[in-house]
Amino acid sequence: MDVHSLPPRGRRPFTRRAGSLLALSAAAALALTGCASGGGAADDGGDKTLSVWLPGTNQAEIDLVTDTIVPAFEKETGATVEVTYVDWGDISTKLNSAFAAGTAPDIFGHGPAATADFVVNDRILDLDDRVAAMSAEDRDDLAAALPGGQVDGVQYLMPLSLQGYLVMYDADAFTAAGLDPDSPPTTWGELKTDADALTERDGSGTITRSGFLAPSQAIARQQSFATFLFGAGGSLVNDEGTKATFASSEGVEALDFFTSLYTGDDAVSANLGEDYLNAPAAQQPLVQGTAAMTIQAPSMMQQIVDAAPDRDLRVMPALSLEGGDPAAFGGAGPGLMINADSEAPDLAWSFIEYMLSPEVSTEYTQGTGTIPVRASAADSDYAKNSPIISTFLEQSGNLQTNPNVVGWVQVRDALDKQLERALNGVAGSQEALDAAAAEADKILAANG
Amino acid sequence: MTSATIAPPGATSAPGGATPPPPPRRRRRWSRSAIFGLVFVLPAALYVLIFQLVPVVYGLILSFTTYSPLSRSGPEFTGVDNYTDLLGDADFGNALLVTGRYVLQVLPITVVLALGLALLVNRPFKGVGLFRSALYVPHIVSLTAVSMVWLWMYSQTGLFNEILGFFGAPAQSWLLDSDSALNAVSAMRIWKALGSNMVLLLAGLQSIPKDLYEAARVDGAGRWATFRYVTLPGLRPMLVYVVAMDIIYLAQGFAEIYVLTQGGPLGSTTTVNYQIYTEAFQYNQMGSASAMAFVLFALIIGFSVLAVRGVMGRQK
Repeated sequence: MDVHSLPPRGRRPFTRRAGSLLALSAAAALALTGCASGGGAADDGGDKTLSVWLPGTNQAEIDLVTDTIVPAFEKETGATVEVTYVDWGDISTKLNSAFAAGTAPDIFGHGPAATADFVVNDRILDLDDRVAAMSAEDRDDLAAALPGGQVDGVQYLMPLSLQGYLVMYDADAFTAAGLDPDSPPTTWGELKTDADALTERDGSGTITRSGFLAPSQAIARQQSFATFLFGAGGSLVNDEGTKATFASSEGVEALDFFTSLYTGDDAVSANLGEDYLNAPAAQQPLVQGTAAMTIQAPSMMQQIVDAAPDRDLRVMPALSLEGGDPAAFGGAGPGLMINADSEAPDLAWSFIEYMLSPEVSTEYTQGTGTIPVRASAADSDYAKNSPIISTFLEQSGNLQTNPNVVGWVQVRDALDKQLERALNGVAGSQEALDAAAAEADKILAANG
Repeated sequence: MTSATIAPPGATSAPGGATPPPPPRRRRRWSRSAIFGLVFVLPAALYVLIFQLVPVVYGLILSFTTYSPLSRSGPEFTGVDNYTDLLGDADFGNALLVTGRYVLQVLPITVVLALGLALLVNRPFKGVGLFRSALYVPHIVSLTAVSMVWLWMYSQTGLFNEILGFFGAPAQSWLLDSDSALNAVSAMRIWKALGSNMVLLLAGLQSIPKDLYEAARVDGAGRWATFRYVTLPGLRPMLVYVVAMDIIYLAQGFAEIYVLTQGGPLGSTTTVNYQIYTEAFQYNQMGSASAMAFVLFALIIGFSVLAVRGVMGRQK
């Protein structure tokens, strides 16, 4: 050993052992920080394991799916189903991250409006052949819901329920105002007249009870506008999904009507922009007596009835604006899609078929308080015993939804922004709709 | 004429023109303590590298691309398009103005109020501990939870309108009116930030040597002179920290906006961070969202440096 190889006193050279220790530490650190490889559906047991993400944190739905539906499916198929419930506000973000990371679930739930973006990115399976293989009886039974899950005529999403928004009204308030609750209005014009009679103001003229409330907060105001637009006979985009069509005379009529609810001397609605739609049942305007009529979804209507059992609360059929047919915003509700990269697509389809089977489907919609997806559910005890659900089922033919086109979320927000301007008196109806249509056309062209 | 060869400095010629062999390179050795030090630092260093530096660099790269996380093809390079598009983006311009206004109307009030409270609780009185704790509580509650509580307080049937009703005043649409919405959010944020700023400034106050106050008293300085020539200079380093951190946090305002107003009404509360969220997670436009994030980052750095220089410069 020559002098150069001698270690300094008190020090030891960087030995192989130390190197191993360093490498081990690095590996441990990587493992601890979650960067080691592994995970994902493929490692979880082949096609006998299904990962499912369902949107929403409704405890009744969670209990029903977790305690009843999934165990029954597992028993029937021998599969293992891992269900994760994701808050609606987070579902898009988490799915996007999961797709980017390659860890997206085999099946996931979402609203129909999201379908086109998954399709254009080749993220979900075409279900046409599988739907075609269903019995003709099943397809007929699901006929009202299936189109809402299609993009360019191809089935990608299987709706679990129908959604819709109709007007709920306080029959006692009608009687007190000299109106006949058994003959509710059939057009939006008649409704506005009745709302005038139902509106109460304090000494300063401030509305203390709205005659009628339509949702006017972000996103929901686009749905309110769509309700009036469809009722006037208008549409949101052309059949090809390439051009906005809402800046029409029907659109202007619809927006003028919407604006008139909140502004002017004959306003019948208070608190423009406030989100009453998602308020807890006990704080709903109908329960608190701060509104006589409100647009609502069926599940909340049921909760409102439970929260105010002494009130005579009823649901109106869909209404029309002068010249149009009765229509309301609604149609296919949230449904299930199959990840195009799923290693168990057949099992995934079996799960969807199971969820849509007549008994399970009715049980599911009853548990969640939503509108059954099958027409035959009209004969179920659930529908027969609920005037709310039976009204929605009767009106299912009048429900129209947003188009499934790529970039719809951006189009919706562009429209929403201009609707807000019109509702706040910053722009006229035609000006706002023209601006929204110009923006929408650019978005549709960019995504076309 | 003679010629000379100029050798590079340090070069030596060996007899006979032979170049001497270089001195043997000593292998660098690591002491045992250095190795163990490295081992202990490595996890934290990897954490910083993987979870902080890499995402920032990746975000910077994304800002020069167009990319949707749903896409299978990955990011596509678009040069500086995302940045040039922002120049003509009226919504982004509005978001910058809203963010600037938000910072400017919250920052001075919260710092001045926090300083006043710190001066108040810097002296002994009965219940001072409870008082300090009560003021600090808002800071330890999550911003989202606090925002939910304030959402109710601002609602038509909430606490503030109940109080107004008690005095016979009409109810206000605090969050529904574009003239008042940002002010309402700011009020909540001031309340939320007071406690932490107060504690920091209190720590700063207590680090000022008592001798200076004694000397000021001996020199006949009054309360204002003592505050101006002793307290404020002594507090300056902590004040710089509080101002810089407040600018950083406020300019990144998101949770309170998401819960209270969703950016409305009429975009009056749409901050840059809220627009980044919309662009990235509603529209899947990660490239333009990243560009917005880096513009915001540059502005935060710029304003923070200005604020620090503004305070420290006077100290010089």
